[in-house]
Amino acid sequence: MTVSKKETNISDAKKNSSGESPRRALHLGYMYWSNGTHPAGWRYPGAEHSRAFDVDHFVGLAQRAEAAKFDFFFFGDRLATGAEYGYTNTSVIARLEPFTTAAYLATLTKTIGIVVTANPTYYEPFNLARLTASLDHVTKGRASWNVVTGADPRAAQNYSRLEHGDANFRYDRAEEFIDLVRSLWDSWEDDAFIRNKETGEFVDGSKIHAVNHDGKTFQVKGPLNVARSPQGHPVILHAGSSERSRQFAAREADVAFAGVATLTQGRQYATEIRCRATESGRDPDEISILPGLTPLVGATLAEAREIYDELNSLTILDEDVRFGGREPSAWTRGAEGLHGSSEGVPLGYRNLGSLSQRLGLDVTEESIDAVVPLEIEGRLAPAGSQLVITATQRTGRTVGLNLTWRDVLYTYVVGGHVVVGGPTEIADYIESWHAAGAADGFIIQSAFLDEQFDAFIDLVVPELRRRGLFRSEYEGSTFREHLGLTRPQSRFTLDQGIEVSS
Amino acid sequence: MTRFSDDDPNRQLHFGLMFWATGTHSAGWRYPGSRADGAYDIEFIQNMTKVVERAKFDFLFLGDRLATDPAMATTNPAQMSRLEPFIAGSAIAAATTHIGISVTANPTYYDPFTLARLLASLDHLSKGRASWNLVTGADAIAAANFSRDEHWETEKRYDWADEFVDSVRDLWDSWEDGALLRDKESGRFIDESKVHAIDHHGRYFDIAGPLTVARPPQGQVILLHAGTSDRSRELGAREADVIFAAGPNFDAAKEYYSDIKTRAASYGRHASEIQILPALQVTVAESTAEANRIFDRLEELRPQVVAPVAGQKSREGALGQSERASSPRGLIGNPIEVADYIEEWFVGEACDGFNVFPNYVPGAVEAFAELVIPELQRRGLFRREYTGTTFRDHLNLATPPNRFAGRDRSTTLPIAASR
Repeated sequence: MTVSKKETNISDAKKNSSGESPRRALHLGYMYWSNGTHPAGWRYPGAEHSRAFDVDHFVGLAQRAEAAKFDFFFFGDRLATGAEYGYTNTSVIARLEPFTTAAYLATLTKTIGIVVTANPTYYEPFNLARLTASLDHVTKGRASWNVVTGADPRAAQNYSRLEHGDANFRYDRAEEFIDLVRSLWDSWEDDAFIRNKETGEFVDGSKIHAVNHDGKTFQVKGPLNVARSPQGHPVILHAGSSERSRQFAAREADVAFAGVATLTQGRQYATEIRCRATESGRDPDEISILPGLTPLVGATLAEAREIYDELNSLTILDEDVRFGGREPSAWTRGAEGLHGSSEGVPLGYRNLGSLSQRLGLDVTEESIDAVVPLEIEGRLAPAGSQLVITATQRTGRTVGLNLTWRDVLYTYVVGGHVVVGGPTEIADYIESWHAAGAADGFIIQSAFLDEQFDAFIDLVVPELRRRGLFRSEYEGSTFREHLGLTRPQSRFTLDQGIEVSS
Repeated sequence: MTRFSDDDPNRQLHFGLMFWATGTHSAGWRYPGSRADGAYDIEFIQNMTKVVERAKFDFLFLGDRLATDPAMATTNPAQMSRLEPFIAGSAIAAATTHIGISVTANPTYYDPFTLARLLASLDHLSKGRASWNLVTGADAIAAANFSRDEHWETEKRYDWADEFVDSVRDLWDSWEDGALLRDKESGRFIDESKVHAIDHHGRYFDIAGPLTVARPPQGQVILLHAGTSDRSRELGAREADVIFAAGPNFDAAKEYYSDIKTRAASYGRHASEIQILPALQVTVAESTAEANRIFDRLEELRPQVVAPVAGQKSREGALGQSERASSPRGLIGNPIEVADYIEEWFVGEACDGFNVFPNYVPGAVEAFAELVIPELQRRGLFRREYTGTTFRDHLNLATPPNRFAGRDRSTTLPIAASR
């Protein structure tokens, strides 16, 4: 298997006589969930729980993320809601629409990238191209589009569709969609405007191009009615672990991520994306691999573990904690678990029966507060074994000694990519992924707000700087510049052979 | 003869600003001191809005079209290329506190769910200042940008728009106030009895709902509509809070005004619930002679030949070919003359106010704000201060009751049956 360029760089660095490590820069994004990512985060004492529609909340966080020199501030989106989110992810029940929210933030920030999530399955390319290009104008080159093809199949019912469409349908559409959107972004060359008051020449018509797209799904004439934007092409994010999703990320994304929760998974994903990017003719180093991560930060490791335990104690389990109210087998996590599978397991599946499915071992006869016995070794499915390891890492407790089934059940219910620790342990974790080529950085999320956000900014970011991993100042002013990307030339400037007029 | 406003002694003028970044005159961008490159300068746009907010305008109007053509450079440069209005409107919301923000969107090329989200969200962000200018699409060539074989004829566009508006209103109401419990003690975040699937199954749309956005601060976002066709008048009379009318002359405007208010009454609406605001292309200066000089200068600057630009073949139905080959002179005068005109139309019930078209920016906007508004305030025709903070407040409209509130139909949120 081809090793990534990053790993090559690191091994080169080790031979470097200066001892300076020319490692790839560490990138940090912040994903805004108004109530945090822990299913019970909103119930934590002092935690925010009612500010989803309060502009001061997200504006304040974005401004502080900018002061901490984060690469970007990230707004997620879903096109349907459901009652189960009341117990799994209260941040997504009802919230602001991302384009309007991002545009509101535009002139209240100066440098930080702003990511908007939008689903091509339910958008028109012409509308989306206008929204993204316009956002790039008002942010002066800080706009980004997180391309999702559908985290919630219920969206179809809100869009007069009979069905959500399978992955192939959605990715076929998404691929044609993004290619068309890139053409629309380019349809006005950078110097199409003349605006000569003397002569009265306002534009140079030869630099405005119909796109004349005639594809399988879309027929769009163009040109766009928005000038080419400061970044040319806003930054593209894409997440997902399916085959089509990895291919899409490798071809189109500037930032890629997936619901990885272990270093092995992370490395595998990063290596594969870079290999595929190379196969697609791209420089694999152009892609930043930034998995989602919820760092549960305390002043010390012990304090962090106390917070984690308290959060879990606020997490509602099924009344019948042995079997719950539903058939456990009906619950299957979506293959494209977005946002680092940060979503908790819904009520009805928060019981030992559901846990048994994950473990590959029937534990329904166990007392929930019994210590997990050493005898389980060798009897668990791989995913179950990983779950127990994760539970020990998060709680600091030990199998056969003090780790209980309740601890394991909470780990299962809470899910996500969580690391519990003081500033040193969190920085170690981030550094280890970075050094191993599993991540170029992370999309940071908070278990609850604002305390956990502040703790990361105030305790962990300075530690990352001390280690020389993270920037102290922005070097550029656009999102592309934060990622070390150049501004692409217009497709129409590159290829003058194209039939330009309508 | 009965007047529509007989029972409304405190009736006041309402003003909107039609914001075109290069002015509404096709040569406005060439006028000395005007901005030729303001269309993508969001700080400039925010500042223009602040000028009319200080003048206590009701709203800023952001137009939109869904197609463009380089030929518009000579006829209509402001509409040729500009910021998408939801993006501009949201950025304006961040820099202003009182003025209403009206965003144009065409249901023919939108989905109700997406548009309901955008508008509800803008209403939250602006703390109750959002408005939707509903257009059904004058540009036949928009179809070519939306994978459509043809631009629908009027009847179909209005059938679609009628169902669309009703769905959007349902979606805005799908979360009752108080639906978000956020009870830390019990761990209950939502009161499911106050969240409603809308279960809309109509001729054009099937929408389960609920919306993913809480009920907007205004309850129902302010609706604008313009048009002269019968279908348009019906839609406006039934649904719109503000009608943006053309009104070429006083008599025609008065007839239109009367027609709309009479139609509105047939839908059980009071005349004061619907404001009719014709376009007012106005050139104002300290003296009449100076105002005339300004307009003459603008006309001199108008590009004389409307020719396709080199390399561009003209096409049937292209934008800009037939528009504004010559513009009417509009209203030209000193502040007293302009205020007289406005007062005459207002008192004569030809309008409830105007949507002001500035020929060039920022100069023409500043002139109207500084010269005309104080005169109208002096005459007691226009507010000196905002009396509320929402667009609804400016129009003296109460927040409408929620369509679903108290309904015994216990529709609850859908539970994910399988994933």
